[in-house]
Amino acid sequence: MVREEEQDGVSVHSPSQAPRSSASSLPKEQSQVDIELKLLQALEMYPPAKLQGIHRHFVLYGLIEYLQKCFERSFSADEVLQLLNQFFNLEMLKPDEEEMEIFQKEEEFSLPQILLVKEEE
Amino acid sequence: MGTSNPSGGAAPKEEEDEEMEGADAAEEDKSQSDGSDSASDPAPFSEGEKVLAFHGPRIYEAKIQKAEVLAGRWKFFVHYLGWNKNWDEWVVASRLLKLTDENMRKQKDLTKDSQAQERSARSRLSQKPSKTDVKPEKEDAKNQGSKGKKRKSAPPNEEKEKKPQESPLMLQFPLTLKKQLLVKLPRSPNVDDILKKYLEYRTKKDGVINESVSEILKGLRSYFDKALPVLLLYSKEKSQYDEIVKEGVSPSTIYGAEHLLRLFVKLPELLAHVNLEEEAITKLQQKLLDLLKFLQKNQSLFFLSSYDTSKAAVKAE
Repeated sequence: MVREEEQDGVSVHSPSQAPRSSASSLPKEQSQVDIELKLLQALEMYPPAKLQGIHRHFVLYGLIEYLQKCFERSFSADEVLQLLNQFFNLEMLKPDEEEMEIFQKEEEFSLPQILLVKEEE
Repeated sequence: MGTSNPSGGAAPKEEEDEEMEGADAAEEDKSQSDGSDSASDPAPFSEGEKVLAFHGPRIYEAKIQKAEVLAGRWKFFVHYLGWNKNWDEWVVASRLLKLTDENMRKQKDLTKDSQAQERSARSRLSQKPSKTDVKPEKEDAKNQGSKGKKRKSAPPNEEKEKKPQESPLMLQFPLTLKKQLLVKLPRSPNVDDILKKYLEYRTKKDGVINESVSEILKGLRSYFDKALPVLLLYSKEKSQYDEIVKEGVSPSTIYGAEHLLRLFVKLPELLAHVNLEEEAITKLQQKLLDLLKFLQKNQSLFFLSSYDTSKAAVKAE
């Protein structure tokens, strides 16, 4: 693990893994800042609190897709989580209590009406 | 014709066919005739006359299309009102009744009797009346006097055996829905196994681990475990769940492809809470579709070909 020098006002500490491939032509700190900025923007759509809830995998998926689209390279789930860890203590995050409501109300499974109609034809 | 008895249409027909083939025979067995329908008597029914005709265990309103003497007896070519003309047939007089009030009452009685028989026959096959019960019962309730609704030419027992539709989503639903039978648990492969197999398949194909796919599959498993007892079971399956899935056990290690498919039905609802970007949604759909195709390609491996009939009882054992 390589520890990079701390930069004022940029980041508290760097991720242990350097970002891959195409970003290497830019100064590391610069691209790192870009990624972090983009990530923080993405959090508008994907609130970090949801990363501890029942939807966490899909929220993470959304973040991965977002960053991949911005930087045109692949991102791993771990990478994204590590980036986030710089700003939030993920373990301390609590999801909205409303989240679990969708799994509270027990209802009998039924096929959507449109499928049933087709069946009976 | 309105009965689920597969031989319903066959029996009387056979009788008539035999007689048609034997048209050249000198003498016919007169044990059936009431004496008044031999060639020497005038026709008991006339062409164009509306009558009641026996067919299988029931009586239907019919119209005489032709009246002829065949093999020494009066025979009547009848058309059953409301039914496709493919059902038209030659019958002897003893199969017919005059259209009187008394005979209409007889028809009602026979209808009730045979409906009761059908219901008990069906309940022997499956504990709950199947969805297909609704059609014939509704019809007869609506139309006491005639067969009512026009039916297609296929006999009723064929109508029920609809081909399962192509898409895997529909593949198992007709069976589960109509027969209301229980899936034997635990399943092998279970949901966990299936998702792992899919990831292996995908990784092999792409030559690299797809991070997005990994997260999606993890997400599906999480949803499945939470959703199964609450959103994915028919009420009939609840007692089985209580019995089999103990504290701390994940449904994804017990249930299989049949129930995984049901999760797909609920996915849009669940994912609405995630607020995914347009593009992410599109990609997600593609990946889910790919998973469905994988399930379909491997259906003989993942899906049951028969259900557990011994446990069809509503009560927990």
